[in-house]
Amino acid sequence: MNFNDTKKFAVAVALLAFGTANAATINLSKCVASINKTMSDGASVTFWVFGPAGGMCTGALPGAPIEVGVGDTLNLTLNINGMTPQEAAPYNGHTIHLHGADVATAEDGVPETGAPVTGDTYTFTPAGNMYGSYMYHCHVHTVKHLEMGMYGALIVRPKDASGNFLNQITASAATTYDYVQTYLFSTVDPAYHTATGDSTVFADYNPKYFLITGAEGKTTAAPAVSLAAAVNKKVALRLIGLHSVGGTFEIRDAAGAAKTFTAYTEDGRALPTAQTVTSLDVSAGQRFDIIFTTPATTGAWYPQISYKKLRDGAAYATAYGKVTF
Amino acid sequence: MNKNFYTSLLFMLATLVLTGAAQAATRSYTLYITSGNLTVNGTGGATIPGWSYTDVPGTPKIPGPALTVNEGDTVNITVVNNHTLSHNFLIKGVTTDTTAIAAGLSRAYSFTASTAGTYLYYDTLNNNINREMGMYGALIVGPADGSSKAWTNGPAYTFQRTWIVSEMDKTRWNDVAGAGGAVATATYKPNYFLINGRGGSDGMMAADTTIDGTVGQTALVRIVNPGQFANSLHFHGNHIQVLTLNGVRQSSPYRELDVINIPPLGTADVLYYLNQPGDYPMHNHIAQMETANGVYLNGIVTMIKMR
Repeated sequence: MNFNDTKKFAVAVALLAFGTANAATINLSKCVASINKTMSDGASVTFWVFGPAGGMCTGALPGAPIEVGVGDTLNLTLNINGMTPQEAAPYNGHTIHLHGADVATAEDGVPETGAPVTGDTYTFTPAGNMYGSYMYHCHVHTVKHLEMGMYGALIVRPKDASGNFLNQITASAATTYDYVQTYLFSTVDPAYHTATGDSTVFADYNPKYFLITGAEGKTTAAPAVSLAAAVNKKVALRLIGLHSVGGTFEIRDAAGAAKTFTAYTEDGRALPTAQTVTSLDVSAGQRFDIIFTTPATTGAWYPQISYKKLRDGAAYATAYGKVTF
Repeated sequence: MNKNFYTSLLFMLATLVLTGAAQAATRSYTLYITSGNLTVNGTGGATIPGWSYTDVPGTPKIPGPALTVNEGDTVNITVVNNHTLSHNFLIKGVTTDTTAIAAGLSRAYSFTASTAGTYLYYDTLNNNINREMGMYGALIVGPADGSSKAWTNGPAYTFQRTWIVSEMDKTRWNDVAGAGGAVATATYKPNYFLINGRGGSDGMMAADTTIDGTVGQTALVRIVNPGQFANSLHFHGNHIQVLTLNGVRQSSPYRELDVINIPPLGTADVLYYLNQPGDYPMHNHIAQMETANGVYLNGIVTMIKMR
């Protein structure tokens, strides 16, 4: 089959496998909050984050994960009002871009192609070839707004015949997991948080804080995220690259030995061949869904990302997570 | 002009088509190494000193001209160094001669084009300074029959684009080297990011960068990174299929991605299937690389227009 036929076939399979009977409609509303975070060195950095709409807008970094089933319809509404933190024109307002969803232009959230910046509803119905990790983020003056923290995970999940989410990454039972956690990678240059408009600050990125899912995790003793799993179980991690530098992901044990894991998706599509590796480069905008099996004896492993310079791949810093079993 | 002229012209064209379709050709190029300026238009723009390979003596072109050949062709390239410094000419993965060409001299390169794909040519000398100043371009090798396929019996495309993505540190590198000074190469903070040599918003609309066609067509995009920064290119509208990455032909079924990471000196050939009407951007997801000296939306960005 050529590319064109493959696409048609995939859509046909999707329609057969996921009829409308169990398709859900998910209506969510987001607002934008300004929050101050105290970083590990005691400095305070202002972030703009997506929070649940309604009343006074509050939220945390990153925005809450959004889960949608294959065949479901997501209606994601962004509310903007006089209280919404924003820049002056021409970079006023905000949008939501469903990164990787390949939606129609009117749902794509790009101001330069006509998206309103004063609030809108974005609709996405994942097709049958879409699985795993996507992201949502603001697409206004992204050199600043991404950096400000306007992002979150968007997860597309397979469903069973009754419409319930399956605990597997794709339609393949080989991707079944017992535990799942999101590792959202991002970096912070405080200068970008105070600069605004057409500033030369945005030509030179000097990240100072290195995050996983909104926290620093500078050592294995103080991980950014942690998960309590059991021995001999399958743990899925959703790797989402919202950083603006390079990065290499690994899983290491307490002695520093690298552990194998298997990537089943890249950029929200099943990989033609699952890749079992001990390290994975994750660049800006990329996603992977991976699974590893915990060992038979109790202990802890440390999923981690080494953030790297774009020029020579030299390490800036490593951020750590932790999985106990 | 008279009727005989047109008859002769038609005859010549017909001969070219007939012979070109089946037989290997000899393709000869002369590239002149020239200094000059690169102009980045619009807000945040600037005039940046640069050096380049060009097919028009005295007029620099950043990037240099595309060299387009087919598998089996004999390719002869003469590089004439009209600049004041030594330079060389290497086609990564194709040629091996890195001998310096002194100012005022020239050097000839000859090879038979082999594996269809996309290759980077550049100057390897002077601790990356020559390359950073703009001395790079692409060699495109098509299948032997010249058909619109990525390789013989490979994936077909309707039209193709070549994107050469790079960056320049105007203050610390180009201004200094352009004035004959010594660049402190340990520090590199590029403030201009280029697609096919354009760093302003005009790059978004340029005919040689936009994927512009009708629904049902397929674009083959050849991506070449002669820069020193890794690029992370994000496509809106549809996923791409990765055919070749850093010179390694991938196997079918191809990975479908919406982001492709191209390391320094890396290349990729990807297919973009025009699947739905609309206007979409393609942009570097490393946000500072979508600016011109900090001004958004410039740099490594173009448009996908599906009609």
